[in-house]
Amino acid sequence: MAIQELELKPAVPASPLSGFWNVFRKNRLAIAGLAMLVVIVIAAIFADVIAPYDPRSYAGIGAGDIYQPPSAQHWFGTDDAGKDVFSGFIYGARNSLIVGFFAAFISIFIGGTFGIIAGFYGGRIETFLMRFTDTMLVIPDLPLIVIFVALTEPSLWNIILVIGLLGWTTTARIVRSQTLAVKSRKFVLRARAIGAGNRHIIVHHILPLVMPILVVNAILVISLAILSESTLAFLGLSDPLAISWGQMLNFAFGRGAMSVGAWWALVAPGFGIVWVVLALTLLGNGLEQVLNPRLEAHHLMPGQPTVQKEAGEVPARGAFVKTPVILDVQNLSVEYINEGKPPARAVQNVSFQLHEGEMMGLVGESGCGKTTLMLAVNRLLPAAGQIVGGKALFNGIDLTTASDEELADLRWSGISIIFQGAMNALNPVRTVGDQIAEAIRKHMPIENEAALDSRVTELLELVGISAEHKNHYPHQYSGGMRQRAMIAMALSCSPQVVIADEPTTALDVMIQAQILELLDDLRRKLGLAVIFVTHDLGVVAEMCDTVLVMYGGMTAEYADVDTIYNQPRHPYTQELLKAFPDLSNPEKRLSSIPGYPPKLDALPPGCRFAPRCPLAFDRCKTELPRLHELGSGHVVGCHLLERP
Amino acid sequence: MNRYRYLLQKTGWALLTILFVLVLNFFLFRILPGDPARALTRDPRMKAEAREILRVRFGLDKPVINCFETLTPLKLGDCRVNPLDTQFFIYIKNLLQGELGISYKTNRPVADILAERLWNTVLLIGAGQILSIVVGVAFGVFAAWKARTAIDYGALITGLVAWSLPTFWLGIILLFWGSTQGFPIGGKATPGTGAYPLLYQIGDVANHMILPTLTYIIVYMGEYMLVMRSSLLDVLAEDYILTAKAKGLSAFQILKDHAMKNAMLPIVTLIAINLGFTVAGAVQIEAVFSWPGLGGAIFEAVESRDYPLLQGTFLLIAVSVILANLIADLTYSYLDPRVQTE
Amino acid sequence: MKLTVKFVVLLTIAALALSACGALGQSQPVVMRIGWAGSPDTLNPGAAVLTEAYTIFALVYDAMYQLQLDGTFKLNLAESVSVSDDGLVYTYKIRDGVKFHDGQPLTAEDVVFSYLLYQNTEGYPWMGNYTTYFEKIEATPNNEVVITLSEPIPNIDAQLVFLYVLPKHIWENEDPLEFENVAAVGSGPFKMVEYKPNEFVHLAKNPDYFGGAPKVDEVIFQTFESQDALVQAIKTGQVDMITEMPATAVETLKQDPNIEVVTGAPFAPSVTDVIINQVLPENCPPEDGLCTGHPALLDRNVRLALAHATDKQKIIDVVLLGYGTPGTTLIPDGLGIWYNSSIKDYPYDVAKANQILDDAGYKDVNGDGIRETPDGSRSLTFRINWPSDSIDSPRLAELLSEMWGQVGVKLEAQALDPDTLTSVCCPAFDFDIIIWGWGSDPDPNLLLSVMTTDEIPTGSSETGYSNPEYDDLYRQQASELNLEKRRALVWKMQEIVFNDVVYIIPYYEQNVQAFRKDRFTGFILDQPKVELSDVTSLIRVEPVR
Repeated sequence: MAIQELELKPAVPASPLSGFWNVFRKNRLAIAGLAMLVVIVIAAIFADVIAPYDPRSYAGIGAGDIYQPPSAQHWFGTDDAGKDVFSGFIYGARNSLIVGFFAAFISIFIGGTFGIIAGFYGGRIETFLMRFTDTMLVIPDLPLIVIFVALTEPSLWNIILVIGLLGWTTTARIVRSQTLAVKSRKFVLRARAIGAGNRHIIVHHILPLVMPILVVNAILVISLAILSESTLAFLGLSDPLAISWGQMLNFAFGRGAMSVGAWWALVAPGFGIVWVVLALTLLGNGLEQVLNPRLEAHHLMPGQPTVQKEAGEVPARGAFVKTPVILDVQNLSVEYINEGKPPARAVQNVSFQLHEGEMMGLVGESGCGKTTLMLAVNRLLPAAGQIVGGKALFNGIDLTTASDEELADLRWSGISIIFQGAMNALNPVRTVGDQIAEAIRKHMPIENEAALDSRVTELLELVGISAEHKNHYPHQYSGGMRQRAMIAMALSCSPQVVIADEPTTALDVMIQAQILELLDDLRRKLGLAVIFVTHDLGVVAEMCDTVLVMYGGMTAEYADVDTIYNQPRHPYTQELLKAFPDLSNPEKRLSSIPGYPPKLDALPPGCRFAPRCPLAFDRCKTELPRLHELGSGHVVGCHLLERP
Repeated sequence: MNRYRYLLQKTGWALLTILFVLVLNFFLFRILPGDPARALTRDPRMKAEAREILRVRFGLDKPVINCFETLTPLKLGDCRVNPLDTQFFIYIKNLLQGELGISYKTNRPVADILAERLWNTVLLIGAGQILSIVVGVAFGVFAAWKARTAIDYGALITGLVAWSLPTFWLGIILLFWGSTQGFPIGGKATPGTGAYPLLYQIGDVANHMILPTLTYIIVYMGEYMLVMRSSLLDVLAEDYILTAKAKGLSAFQILKDHAMKNAMLPIVTLIAINLGFTVAGAVQIEAVFSWPGLGGAIFEAVESRDYPLLQGTFLLIAVSVILANLIADLTYSYLDPRVQTE
Repeated sequence: MKLTVKFVVLLTIAALALSACGALGQSQPVVMRIGWAGSPDTLNPGAAVLTEAYTIFALVYDAMYQLQLDGTFKLNLAESVSVSDDGLVYTYKIRDGVKFHDGQPLTAEDVVFSYLLYQNTEGYPWMGNYTTYFEKIEATPNNEVVITLSEPIPNIDAQLVFLYVLPKHIWENEDPLEFENVAAVGSGPFKMVEYKPNEFVHLAKNPDYFGGAPKVDEVIFQTFESQDALVQAIKTGQVDMITEMPATAVETLKQDPNIEVVTGAPFAPSVTDVIINQVLPENCPPEDGLCTGHPALLDRNVRLALAHATDKQKIIDVVLLGYGTPGTTLIPDGLGIWYNSSIKDYPYDVAKANQILDDAGYKDVNGDGIRETPDGSRSLTFRINWPSDSIDSPRLAELLSEMWGQVGVKLEAQALDPDTLTSVCCPAFDFDIIIWGWGSDPDPNLLLSVMTTDEIPTGSSETGYSNPEYDDLYRQQASELNLEKRRALVWKMQEIVFNDVVYIIPYYEQNVQAFRKDRFTGFILDQPKVELSDVTSLIRVEPVR
């Protein structure tokens, strides 16, 4: 589903760095992490200035100074040798950070090199390196580190070396996959085509693109290295004269802090470790989100409450079909709420009527609000979407205000949806038959499992899938089969209305035709009302009874199919038709409409189409046109109609 | 690729890795500085003859492998010795017979020591892992469901802080606190209760397990929570969740039938990867709580430079982790039908 | 939230377990729980190395003599002993009616079997030292053991005290090196119930013990990984006694009205020493020696200045919180009469130390704060190493760096793991200064031997010290049968090595132990040595009524 399309992406930044900062600073946790890190790094650098005592000196210390609680002289109390814990804490920051940074540097260097070489060269080198990486990954590293360190001199540099040499595996994997992704990009291929050497390509083209991910990874590796060092020190394997937080803990634990009740000697260094690791983790997570933004919104988040507003004056709708009305949408408006920005008006005052057995085409370019409208009717809008006005009456029940229970009952049994891209719309880890059965179980009275099973089989056969595929998973289906299965699923609860949202995108032409034919067939056979969302005017002409053309979230033109094709009054409809091959007049030149649909959060002040409209005049740029009724239900939103 | 080939490939790979570990385990201890013969004859009061007898007893009088008398310092030797009479092949042969050598310190077969301790570790890690997975996943699901609310932020920060805690430090703090609350200070059971009723003994062991397990849960829960949260967030943003919602399923049904299984996939991988790190945690927790397990064995072996014990423990842990990874891989293939055909 | 709920559940389980414990408590025997930080390495008395093993052996087995807390030896298994005039033949009359824990009688046959086993099993690490002088060992039909020595020695009691008598009927069928001896059938006041390495040793009283049955029913030694946990365990009453604790915790424990803290010389005296490499080039061991020691350390003046620059009291205060005594030589005060109490230590005097170095020509020529040798070739920068498993040594090293820095001596400090330390130490002599320590026999012979020239190539000599006069005295004392004369010789030897500043001894450690006085009473506390877990104490201990 095109939620990503609907949600507004961050504007393209002026310069990469300032843009990065703009996104980054909005991440409160990451900013907190950065601040925490800066504090401790400053403390570490200026330890000589900040620390009130020399942590190595025993001058003036006697037996009475040992394990003294925090006081004005000793903010964090004194340790097992009577020394100031606060000074040790500050100097400890220095060594802990040194270990973290240098060990991470070694890990990142090795992991990065392995990853790039494996990803770039591929083949046997890749197999060998990655197998080696996998092997190292499963070998538990702490015992290995302990063994290495125990068998060598316990100096800080040895520890750095050992932690660094054993901590590269995850880096190698991440970098390899990033390299793989990057190396097939156009400019790399181009560089290769003009004869650039491998080293040149790696240094000048691959590395810059791998770097950001490497930096994020480095931050996490640093925190792991700091944790490792403290563990080693605690186990008595670090350099006892290098004051690090782990070493302070080792002394405190080994020399009785706990039994004396000298909690400060245990808490202060532990707090330091937690502080730095937390700071790095927050920062790392923040950076990752900047590099790789993910939606923190999902389909189960509570939606925005519907703003109840009278539909107001509603233009005549769909008088061209004579069967009873099932779905009556009146002046429906939807907005997307974005923090710190004006709401995006995705759908504005759209009205239509769907009658029994009617097939309505909903037409417009991408981003014109078609999908939003359909989701709004079912109250399936993403969390940021809000119905801000209008009604959607299904058999007299207003769906925009119906209770969750009512809605749950009506969904699928009243209105079902054939989603575009069935690959993603089907759950990959459940069999197709199971997913169809699930809907039936929810909405239909079933006698027993056998009946359910035969119903599923029947449905699949209805769309031309043989029963043996019932227990297969979606990935075992071809694209066309998946779309058919989706149709079978949509029909499973005998709905009155089926919304087909671009059901044939991403399928090849032959399959498209088959699917459409099937859909049309079934509609006639089952007497369904169908809303067919598409930008393929050819299909609409062939199959639909009525057509609603949307532009910029508004109704451009609404009429029966003949009127739309033969007497389009809205310039947008006219332009759309020009872009569509006319079978009766093959000589006609095809032309596409220059420009793009407007951004929904930056709509033009006047007519939405004015910036692209070949016929626009002054008024179009300042004033929204109202909907004109041209008799027999033909509705057009254009100022031209008021011009003589 | 069909399932059997997948299975075969993964198993083969695990065996190869084990082989690598076997070789590494042997040569590591002979390449690194620190003479094993020294370690066992540290006492200067030991007479030279006694020293030589011990060398023979521990097999240190034989060449390391053909052409190499010792590796550190590097001393070349005869290449034509019978390979079966070198330390390396004796080591392999003994391994095949389930012998892991004799502990320098306690003079007992390493295999016996490890057999005693393996189950203690399995008990502790098992309880800790299961509980931290349950708690972590539960919190993660809750946080993801309540994404972008105060609950979510609270859970996120809690998880990150928990993740940042050094295991041993948390253990010390809990031990410190727990000892004032009447919790046992260490060990696996109250000594000398071996003849008490079974129910009492179970309660006693459970009582001893509370603090170490709690340490475990807090440290590992955070990571499971974070992964579960982000994994579930990804899954819940998928189109098939919208499909399920459009079908009229309730939020609970969607979570249960559509989101959880998919979101658990990364957790399965994480559990396998974590097992290696879990061992690291076990070393620390067992050292703090005097828990008689494998981690404690590593700690003690390092302290007393008991190389055969160290080697044996490392080998056992590495092999267990490799096998656990294999099991995770195979489980994954059952959970995710896509794996079989990819 | 959820966590607290779970926690409550766990607490409930704990409460159940504890109440079950209470219910059982009514009919329980008197159990004495002892916490310690170690565990026996093995229960095979021949193969054992660690003190903890010997503590258990003393409870489970009997030897010919028993060492008392005043440092004297008392006949134990034997009723009487007679010595031939030439001092070569000892005849011990073994008590009649002594039984092993399995009911079999202990006779002279078992004693002879055990002694021969110790003497002939070549893989036993220490036993060779105790059986060196045995020429012939025989049993007589009168339940006597006749030991014939190769030469007269003054201390046969010290030789026999650790040779525990094993049941022949069990050991004759076992490989003496590989036998794990988990059942540990002996004849001592306590019987082995269960032994879990690194967890606990569970003993029960031997009601038939010839010296009278112990007053407690069971003794359990429980292992804790850290000394800190030990203190916590006695505070909360989970154990009744602890055999060691960090010095820092002493004051806290003393404030607990239910706990008695006792301090004193340890049963097995221990010395912390600063080893100074002074091996002369001509004494460098030809095979193993590297002899890279700093030449200045060969100069007594430098060693003397270092001794004067060492503030031992401060070291004791900071490292041990006062629970130690300043040391003079390798023979600690815990050795009783052998300790030369007449030696007056070099006073801490920085000015004097500087003066000595100035006079000897060690001046800071280049003004970097570090003195140079008189010929100006090297600065007084010494390497200092210590075993990385010691938690106190790094503190000591820091203190020495600072103190010696005041007299223009620089230390490059580095912890080394014990193996590496052994390999740089001796007989390689690839070091300048090492902080290490000795645990001692009750007899001074071993510690005295460490400073003889003969031990330089064997690796026992750590300093490489060589003095013919000392070597001569050593040989004399080894065969001097008269106690008073031997004492004089031993005292003289201590004077010599003290004057030569062979070692700098920062302190002799004290044993700091504690027990729950609200629960147990009867420990031997009035003796020069403190060891609550010693058999002589444990056999008398009884619960407080």
